[in-house]
Amino acid sequence: MASTPTAPSWRRMQVPRPLQQLFDRFPLRTYAANDLPERSHHLTSSDLPTLYVFSTEPDARLGLPSFNPACLKWQTLLRLAGLEFRILPSTNHASPTGSLPFLLPPRTSTNTTTTTTTAPPLPIPASNLLTYAARQHTSAAAPDLDPDLPARSQVYLSLITLSLRNAWLHALYLDPSNTALLQRLYIRPASSSRGVQATLLCQLRRAAAEQIANTSSSMVLSTAAASSADAVDEEAVYAAARDALGALASLLGESETGWFFGAEGPGVFDASLFSYTHLMMEFMDGGALSAAAEGGMGTGGLGRMLANWLDDVDLTA
Amino acid sequence: MVLQLHVWGPAFGLPSLDAECLAAIALLAQTLGRADYQLIQSSPSAVPTQHLPTLHNPSTSTWTSGYRAIASHIQTHPPPTSRDSSSSFSSSTSTPPPRKADAAAAADSTAYTAFLTAHAAPLLSLSLYVSSANYAAATRPAYSAVLPLPLPWTEPPAVRAAMARRAEHLGMSSLDTDAASASTAEEDGGSKRSAMVGMEGWVDVPGAAAVRIRRSSKMAGVAGSLSPEQKRRIRLEGLAGEVLDVLGEVAWEGQEVGARCLAWGYLALMLLPDVPRPWLREIMEGRYSGLCEFVREFKAEVFPAGGELPWVEGGETQSAIGVGARFARGVLAEVPVIAEQWTRWWAGRNRRQVMASKGPRTQGGGDVLLPLGAGLGLTAVGAGVFFYRGLPPFGEAVQVWRKPVVTLSSFGAAGAMFSGAFYGLD
Repeated sequence: MASTPTAPSWRRMQVPRPLQQLFDRFPLRTYAANDLPERSHHLTSSDLPTLYVFSTEPDARLGLPSFNPACLKWQTLLRLAGLEFRILPSTNHASPTGSLPFLLPPRTSTNTTTTTTTAPPLPIPASNLLTYAARQHTSAAAPDLDPDLPARSQVYLSLITLSLRNAWLHALYLDPSNTALLQRLYIRPASSSRGVQATLLCQLRRAAAEQIANTSSSMVLSTAAASSADAVDEEAVYAAARDALGALASLLGESETGWFFGAEGPGVFDASLFSYTHLMMEFMDGGALSAAAEGGMGTGGLGRMLANWLDDVDLTA
Repeated sequence: MVLQLHVWGPAFGLPSLDAECLAAIALLAQTLGRADYQLIQSSPSAVPTQHLPTLHNPSTSTWTSGYRAIASHIQTHPPPTSRDSSSSFSSSTSTPPPRKADAAAAADSTAYTAFLTAHAAPLLSLSLYVSSANYAAATRPAYSAVLPLPLPWTEPPAVRAAMARRAEHLGMSSLDTDAASASTAEEDGGSKRSAMVGMEGWVDVPGAAAVRIRRSSKMAGVAGSLSPEQKRRIRLEGLAGEVLDVLGEVAWEGQEVGARCLAWGYLALMLLPDVPRPWLREIMEGRYSGLCEFVREFKAEVFPAGGELPWVEGGETQSAIGVGARFARGVLAEVPVIAEQWTRWWAGRNRRQVMASKGPRTQGGGDVLLPLGAGLGLTAVGAGVFFYRGLPPFGEAVQVWRKPVVTLSSFGAAGAMFSGAFYGLD
């Protein structure tokens, strides 16, 4: 019996015609998806837009800064954009994009184009947050928050997204002295089971090591895929962070307004830097990362900027 | 003492086939005299840091790996001869405290280094490593030319995998047709099969005809005749533009030597290699003529046509035993289950070795445990063999057969019945 040579052997058997016709009729009818329970609307959304971030219950009630750099950046930017919102603690599993933060618009939207109030509002991923904020913001005093940075700030931004991020990943996830902090922030809220917690810790550590290895090959001490803290060159990671902070401090020293690139007010770049430096000073007391931070920040006004920053942006209000 | 720089060997008409190695060679050639350094053609498996470029300083007996670390090492430990030499470049290496204007230049240099590492490296790996046509025609032969024989079977695939991981976030893995062809062949067979069942029902198409149908359906349409690079050209141009727009605005001649060398390393490998799918070179030549000029001028200035670089032969790692051990380690790192434990242990061992060269000696507990464990295992195996050999070939040497005493009870139920019957009779 001749057949196509590539087909696997178990597929050589033909499906009999009547059976084939019978199964062609399936599915007979597809029902529409059920609506979410009514109470879920009240629990997950309110009259204010809700930003879902990594946070703790009491912190979220007060609107305190999130402990995740990416979430903190967007939280800061939304504040800068003058948007009124509340925050709720959440995890990556809740997000439609698979990562936090995301924003749920208010239940009864002020926009006339939206549908009836019974339909749940569509979540907005992090990449569209600024356009959403700009649309909501009707007053003329909207600050300049263009996410497309000019070339020079893109170059300096890579210091934050590469060097500072790697140092933060290493300090929080791979440094054994911060295991207790890691468990308090990310692991214990996720599950109460010991087995799940141990597995999660392993997975997070491995993912962090892979992230560091993939962004920069010179921080790796292994030719194969890096999957553990041993394969990451700790000294190189912190040396790069120290250099990055020194460079950023000297850049800030050039500016006369106290914000980067001589801007009138804080922008996307300032918020990105703040999201890392604030967390370094908040959580990493006396570790290798804080030593790196002090070494870098001592030369410029970066530390002063951070001290004033919380009041300026009014994050703690 | 003479600094030893371990780098990947030459290719594409350039002194090295890796961007960071290229930058390190250019930096040393510009800042040091010819007598102050040696270039050793190597591979990551031959150096304790497991990464190239690596600088070995015999006077402090330290191993420094990575371009950034090497540049700062040369700044802090300038070789003694270069300080009093009349070389015009050495002035930049021995300026102890940075002045105000220097601080800004140093900050720029740090930022450009980070930008190149974060954005230019993934773009370059798309062109040279992820794209399977370019990898097969240009990159793999280049690696094969610089590695001793069994190593081209283990090392270039590992390098390619690492480079592909670096470019993963750009989402262009479809350029890798090697990986794609396996899945499409399966898909192709599957869809073909179901289509045939739908059309012919019980009738089966002979194999040759089926192949012909598939060919014709594959050739139909413009999409079938385009290479993956041509299909993705617009997205590739966007990705390249994001990086090169930023780099094209910089006046590289005025930058610090560290950032300039690194930029040249990446840009030269984007522009100069002769690859079958030269999309990156076309983009650069079409839109960024300033960068092309910079690459060519820098090459003519730092590596003039007649100029010789101080290459020397490598040490014991180049011998047959050394190469064999490196090959064995490379193979071991590919074995499914063992590989992870093995790489972890090996990375830890190397790390201790590098740390020991840098500072006070740390204890190496794992190194003692390994021979101990291996010794215990060998002893156990030996004891097992000895015991097995001691066993007689088929059970005991002397077989004793005792004649069983025949009583009524040995007949089972029948015997019991009879014994009861006799008992009853008595």
